[in-house]
Amino acid sequence: MTEVGVGRSSRARTPRPAPLRGRHGPRRRAWVGLVFVAPMLLLFLAFRFLPVVGALWLSLTDYRLSGRWKFIAFDNYTRLVTDSVFHQSLLVTLTYTLIFVPLTVLISLGTAMLLHQVVWRRGFFRGVFFLPYVTSIVLAAVIWRWIYDVEDGLLNAVLGLAGIGPVDFLGDSGSVLASIAVTSAWKGFGYSMLILLAGLQAVPASYLEAAQIDGASAWQRFRYITLPQLRPVLFFVLVIETIGSFQVFDAMYVMTGGGPVRSSYSLVYFLYDSGFKYFDFGYASAIGIALFLIVLVISLIQRRLVGRDD
Amino acid sequence: MKSTVRRVAAPLTALVLTAALAACGDSGGSGSEKQAVTLWMYPVIADQAASTAYWEKVEKDFEAANTDVDLKLEMQPWDKRDEKLATAFAGRKGPDVVLQIPDQLPQYVKNGSLEPIDDVVEADKAKFLPNSIPGLTVDGKVYAAPIYQTVTTTIYNKTVLTKAGIAKPPATWDEIKAAAPKIKAAGFSTLDYSASPETTLNLNFYPLLWQAGGKVFADDGKTVAFNQPPGVEALTFLKTLFDEGAIPKSALTNANAIDNQPLGKGTVAMAFTATPANAATAAKTWGAGNLEVGTPLTGAKQVGYGIPGGLAVNAASENVGAAKKFVSFMIQPAQMQALSKATGYFTPRTDATAEIADPTAQKFADSLQYAFPGEPNTAARQVMSLLAVEIQAVLTGKKAPQQALDDAAKQANALLGR
Repeated sequence: MTEVGVGRSSRARTPRPAPLRGRHGPRRRAWVGLVFVAPMLLLFLAFRFLPVVGALWLSLTDYRLSGRWKFIAFDNYTRLVTDSVFHQSLLVTLTYTLIFVPLTVLISLGTAMLLHQVVWRRGFFRGVFFLPYVTSIVLAAVIWRWIYDVEDGLLNAVLGLAGIGPVDFLGDSGSVLASIAVTSAWKGFGYSMLILLAGLQAVPASYLEAAQIDGASAWQRFRYITLPQLRPVLFFVLVIETIGSFQVFDAMYVMTGGGPVRSSYSLVYFLYDSGFKYFDFGYASAIGIALFLIVLVISLIQRRLVGRDD
Repeated sequence: MKSTVRRVAAPLTALVLTAALAACGDSGGSGSEKQAVTLWMYPVIADQAASTAYWEKVEKDFEAANTDVDLKLEMQPWDKRDEKLATAFAGRKGPDVVLQIPDQLPQYVKNGSLEPIDDVVEADKAKFLPNSIPGLTVDGKVYAAPIYQTVTTTIYNKTVLTKAGIAKPPATWDEIKAAAPKIKAAGFSTLDYSASPETTLNLNFYPLLWQAGGKVFADDGKTVAFNQPPGVEALTFLKTLFDEGAIPKSALTNANAIDNQPLGKGTVAMAFTATPANAATAAKTWGAGNLEVGTPLTGAKQVGYGIPGGLAVNAASENVGAAKKFVSFMIQPAQMQALSKATGYFTPRTDATAEIADPTAQKFADSLQYAFPGEPNTAARQVMSLLAVEIQAVLTGKKAPQQALDDAAKQANALLGR
């Protein structure tokens, strides 16, 4: 997307009398710019855009393993609408998103604000908080499975001291999604934290100082200055985390296998099974396109609610 | 501007020319008349050095005996093997020969990706174990020639049994039911079980179903039979043990493994679908003296799960003849015995005895006669997924066994009829 944006904005700027320092005209400058972005643009077209078009086409066929296929128009989509497993996985994904996104954004925002206050060894603490982000999700999921273990997990041992439990975090339909969301939040909050921290550092100190002089409390300064200033960044974080959350798969695959009784069976898990376990590539592509449309609609809604004017 | 173009164009031209030259070099190098046969092999020999040594020797010996064929070995990881193979077959770029196991086979046969190889095994058919070739047969045609045979059986943790005061390891369903309260009183679980949807039912529920005298599919393969009385009996047996705490509570997420699972932690008395590799790990973890290897469990009958691994030929191969030559070479006793020595698996031929050095693995030989390779069906994996969910519904108390099996059967029959 970035490449396209750059191209378009350069073209949009061409009629304006730009304050050029070089000896070349704006048209030529745009051409050279295009040469520079061309490799990335080509890679993007070849490995991102074309596969999407391919998936769209596949979703209108009954393509299976053999390579033989026929065009079946919207049959896969009709099947999808009536498939109870699709309904279940959609519900699981939505529920997971409702738990995961607020949790991650709150943790990211909280740690970003803490780090913003820290003066001593800020880089060190930033690195420590960012560390889970660079570990593999599979590794994190395995470790958290041990922590959640119903028989001798760390968490149940601690709860046991307080006379609670044992709680079957991953074996109970009621707690499994929240448990997986905590794991994913722990693993992923570092990235959003860094972005929010950058956003916080960009809030002009003079605004806050002025408000302080005017007698605004810490909460009022946060609510009426920091938060509005942070809105574009917050919108970006929300969108990124929502998209990531709709694509949840690895943690569920490793921690529960989608169980118990499909309580953690997400849309991408359903897509994976359809494509790579049952080799129903046409149907799997239809699921992929449906997922794309759902994420698109939700992102547009978020844009209306949070990201307006940006 | 010109200089900019030149600056960009010169390295690009050089790059394109280099790539083109490299491509020419490639095609020029392989200009011989030899027929190329590509083999996709997986780490059946766990030790990498031993694996390399074995397959290099195979390549050398085979090419020495067949000077017109160039065998190309490509080692693949087990991980995501079907994704890779399916994609390769779909793109008509698959290997000429590939290792297959019974539950993979039918889907590739249905898609027309594999070549029947009845002629390859015909001469020696009578010399194979009773379930080896049938395990690799689909609709009456042989699609892979067995090169090794795996077996699973029951293993016991003697420390746990002794602490529970049990002298004779439970070998039948009735003995397990009788032992469970004593083992529980000693603070342990009785039977290890993995009810995770990602574990193949061939290693958990199906052996129990077969032991109860049941079948997954009806004989014509077009409907399922697991909701018949033996299926209900097997699931009720499982549910009773789970409710009594005879099966670890973590069964819903546990894998069928030893490390970091109840078996490895020494909190469970026995496992009923252990592989020789599992037994070796158990021997290391518990101490060799505390491991006892039995034969498969007996319900209405005694059945275990064990599969042949076989070599299949790509129907789209340009050298089907040469590929079949290689498969014929691999099913000769000398190759099988060397493979058995390197893998620790048994040979599927009765006239080529296994050369397994590990004494623990040797104990599995008694179980070979009970090894059943499962019920191949193109929808086998989808049916497993449906059934695994319903089994979890029973274990978590959401459904009764008959109800759950009927619900799974309804979905599975709809799938099979599609």
